[in-house]
Amino acid sequence: MTDVAETTATLPNVVYHQIGKPLVRTDAPGKATGKTPYAGDYVMPGMVQAKVLRSPQASARLVRLDVERARALPGVVCVLTARELPDRLAPTDIPGQTGQARLKTDQQILVRERVRYHGEPLALIAAESTDIAEHAMSLIDYELAPLPGVFDPAEAMQPGAPLVQGEDNVVARHVIRKGDIAGGFAAADLVIERTYRTQFIEHAFLEPEVGLAWVDENGVVNIRVSTQVIEHFRFIADAIGVAHNKVRIMGALVGGGFGGKEDITVEVYLALLAKHTGRPVRLEFSREDSFMGHGKRHPFALTYKTGIKRDGTITALDARILSDAGAYVYLSPYVLLYAAVAAPGPYRIDNLNVEAASVATNNMYTSAFRGFGAAQACIAYEQQMDEIADALKLDRLELRRRNYLKTGDPIATGATVPSAIWTERCADLAWQALGERKEPDGPLRYGRGIAAYQQSYGRLTFLHDTSEAWVGVEVDGTVIVRSGVTDIGAGQASALAQIAIEILGVTMDNVVVYNSDSAVTPLAGTTTATRALYMTGNAVRLAAEAVRGRLLARAAQAFQTSAEHIELANNRVSVLDNSARAMPFAELVKMCAADGIQRQELSIFRAPFSDKLDPETGQGQAHPDYTYGAHAIEVAVDTETGEVSIVQSIACHDVGQCINPAAVEGQIEGGAAQGQGYALSEEMIYRDGKLMTPSFSEYLIPTAMDVPKVKSIILESRSGLGPFGAKGIGEPSLTPVAPAIANAVVDAIGVRIYDLPITPEKVVRALQALDGGSETKSGDGGTVNR
Amino acid sequence: MDARFDLEMPESCEEALTLLAQDGAVPLAGGTDLIVDLRARRREPRLLVSLDRVAELRGIAAKNGRIEIGGRTTVTDLVRSPAIATAAPSLVQAGMAFAGQMVRNAATVAGNIASGSPAADLVPPLLSLDADVTLISTRGERTMPLAAFFIDYRKNAGQSDELIRTISWQRPPERAVNAFYKLARRKGDAITVTGVAVTVAIEGGRCTRARIALGAVAPTILRAQQAEAMLEGKALTPALIEAAAHEAAGQSRPIDDIRASAEYRRHMVKVLTRRLVSQAAERLG
Repeated sequence: MTDVAETTATLPNVVYHQIGKPLVRTDAPGKATGKTPYAGDYVMPGMVQAKVLRSPQASARLVRLDVERARALPGVVCVLTARELPDRLAPTDIPGQTGQARLKTDQQILVRERVRYHGEPLALIAAESTDIAEHAMSLIDYELAPLPGVFDPAEAMQPGAPLVQGEDNVVARHVIRKGDIAGGFAAADLVIERTYRTQFIEHAFLEPEVGLAWVDENGVVNIRVSTQVIEHFRFIADAIGVAHNKVRIMGALVGGGFGGKEDITVEVYLALLAKHTGRPVRLEFSREDSFMGHGKRHPFALTYKTGIKRDGTITALDARILSDAGAYVYLSPYVLLYAAVAAPGPYRIDNLNVEAASVATNNMYTSAFRGFGAAQACIAYEQQMDEIADALKLDRLELRRRNYLKTGDPIATGATVPSAIWTERCADLAWQALGERKEPDGPLRYGRGIAAYQQSYGRLTFLHDTSEAWVGVEVDGTVIVRSGVTDIGAGQASALAQIAIEILGVTMDNVVVYNSDSAVTPLAGTTTATRALYMTGNAVRLAAEAVRGRLLARAAQAFQTSAEHIELANNRVSVLDNSARAMPFAELVKMCAADGIQRQELSIFRAPFSDKLDPETGQGQAHPDYTYGAHAIEVAVDTETGEVSIVQSIACHDVGQCINPAAVEGQIEGGAAQGQGYALSEEMIYRDGKLMTPSFSEYLIPTAMDVPKVKSIILESRSGLGPFGAKGIGEPSLTPVAPAIANAVVDAIGVRIYDLPITPEKVVRALQALDGGSETKSGDGGTVNR
Repeated sequence: MDARFDLEMPESCEEALTLLAQDGAVPLAGGTDLIVDLRARRREPRLLVSLDRVAELRGIAAKNGRIEIGGRTTVTDLVRSPAIATAAPSLVQAGMAFAGQMVRNAATVAGNIASGSPAADLVPPLLSLDADVTLISTRGERTMPLAAFFIDYRKNAGQSDELIRTISWQRPPERAVNAFYKLARRKGDAITVTGVAVTVAIEGGRCTRARIALGAVAPTILRAQQAEAMLEGKALTPALIEAAAHEAAGQSRPIDDIRASAEYRRHMVKVLTRRLVSQAAERLG
């Protein structure tokens, strides 16, 4: 369901022929008819099947590991342990395109001596069949001696806490200091301090990790794998000790990523086994493997102390942020940085102090997840805004209106946002769309919540991000796009097609996209950080514009006019205002071919580059740009059972420019469902590091029965840095959903639950505490001072 | 799945029973429980006896006010049956809240009963209807109250060679309400946190029958008999309902697990019993 509201574009109106239309995506027919092969569908002659043996303990010393009985089992081809991998480590840092220095966060590939988390791999097995590999797993004999572990990040920071690795459990710290924090609080009429907590979250993509690897006749390790990042070929090469050009990653259409396939998953195991066996090796994670095999969303504790004037003006914010990094560093420092930068949200707060730390524990390691720290910050800042509004007895939207960042304002890092900031409009439209309030019905109480946000698109600018794409025109007038971009289900490849055909003036049936091959398609960078459309879309735009320029020049010659009078549209070339003078697009391409005019282009797009933020103040540029919007929610709460139903879920985002509105809606609806799970039902529970929710019968994502129809209100400021003024919507669509739900629940029942998820039991306890008049808030609660 | 077993697909009940008399033989109906257990190696049967082709075990019949359903009847069969819709509304409510559509198409009534799970959603409704269960083997047939079938956590009175042939019950009187509420952490495909089924009949302003069955709050699904006794023969005033609901909660013996605490479950027994009995009293008022 979409309302595309009337908008005031910041660029002159342009008529598009392909952009902004809900065209059938290039990936849709194959998926709908079941013809699309995913990475797990590929087989090869002589292929062996692999399995990973995992530690059942979270913190232990590996005393003995005896694999001889497994090796002796008929049909077992190879069993690898750390003994066979001398000194090899796997990098866990963010993959870069430009050779930036990495953090020193390499990880043992298999347990050598110390087990640091439940599920850490002990051994790899390759066998003639999965059954044999599983049987072999049961024959591996090992002994683990439990070691004291640490499972709470606050405890892990205390002196004398068990060390996860190295000298210090703190794996990252970030600060942001701006303005006069003491002066800001001194000027406040009211100070509100609250702590908000979030939980471990699983990506729960439809397709668990899977891949197939083989060593070819040139000694190149080929890996066909479900991944968001084919650029991992460099890290994989380093991990197995070969040159970077000796590893080739081929993607496939990915059955969901959400950040969970941003890090290396099965690739290094596959590469090692392919090298050791000399045979093609296939490794498919079961759902249980998947739950143990990739990093989770970080639990955060966020303590917000806000100073406010009676009129609702925020005078100061002091935010203390703590995240659980789990047993290995992975992307924790970057996730933490996103949270710090996002800490004030879409609000102008000139006196700001943010102190953030990420701390290692013996819990599952945590890494990228849609929203990347900024989502956790939103859960805090938007609940805090409602707490402030309540304390001031001010309308929730009015309080926000008085503090929104406006176009051109500086954000937390002091940098100004280059695009339009339409937060107010988005929040007002989403809120109005909720309609009339509903009256209580028996034990049911209805409540409404709003959350606005600021979410970056594009990577951290100090990473010096680039993306490449190639666009060419065949002699028959058809178009080919080549780019390394991985398509993780949001239509990343199809968007590139739509951009190329808009610029070249052909139709969707005349374009094919080849993507996701690290050796053959130009490297486009990761499909992460809401960057694929922004970065690779721009690279395709540049390449297509270069080809278009040459085509126009030849057409101008043919029609004896100037290039600016030529229009390319719908597979035709015509002279503007003189439709009689026209020819098929294919004819123009043939002319170019006959004249030896170059009909293709390889382009590179560079994001803005910056230095790192100032380590003392956190000031500088962090991201290229930001998306703004809001989500409005109506809930029905059963005050006796505590059950929360989502009645209405309404999103309003300024996406800059829709490339394909149907794909934008898809992102928004997916974000709404995922955010609903975050708020109400999803939680990876670890007890002393041990996973208590190992399958989908314990880990509860919302079902079709739980999610209402999501309404998408899409605004287009055409002010973004992406092609045609597009912004990103992948992560932003998720970010405001959970806090909007949390706020709606408070509106319904009059009491806040400070730690997600908001389970029926927590609702009942909160209501009982309210009835009892006691001050037993489930969070730390907080005090309102004057 | 590294599991080794033989599979037989008999076409008659008699043939199936002969096969089940063998050591290590296990009946396979919908498989929604058994296959999961095989995959996790919680069970390692030698022989699976598929009941797919045993037509006589599947079906719903109503005779002389008595409803009889075959053990092999699926949950989808139940929720689509007009006879069940009038004779056991609670069973339709449980069926509609049972797992997801694909599981409902495969899962059977006998399988749900035999699993012995305290969270089996069809069982509280059947207990609230005073259902009997008929077991059959090569040694003969026996019928017992369903309430007597459950012994302890995942332990029941059936022998390894027995099949649940039928489940049957007397249609409740006209002036009766039969209802079920499944409380879970989400609306679809969820394991029950607390399930309550009630049958309440009222004649001449007094409760003539009260049945309260509780799911997921004890090692087995159980009837809250003291609470039932408090209601029977009395006018259902709010105070009496409250007291009976409190009593039902007292009879539950829930545990803490990742889905909910024992304390919350006990409280929910009270809330849901009160709610269902009150609604029944209101409708029959």
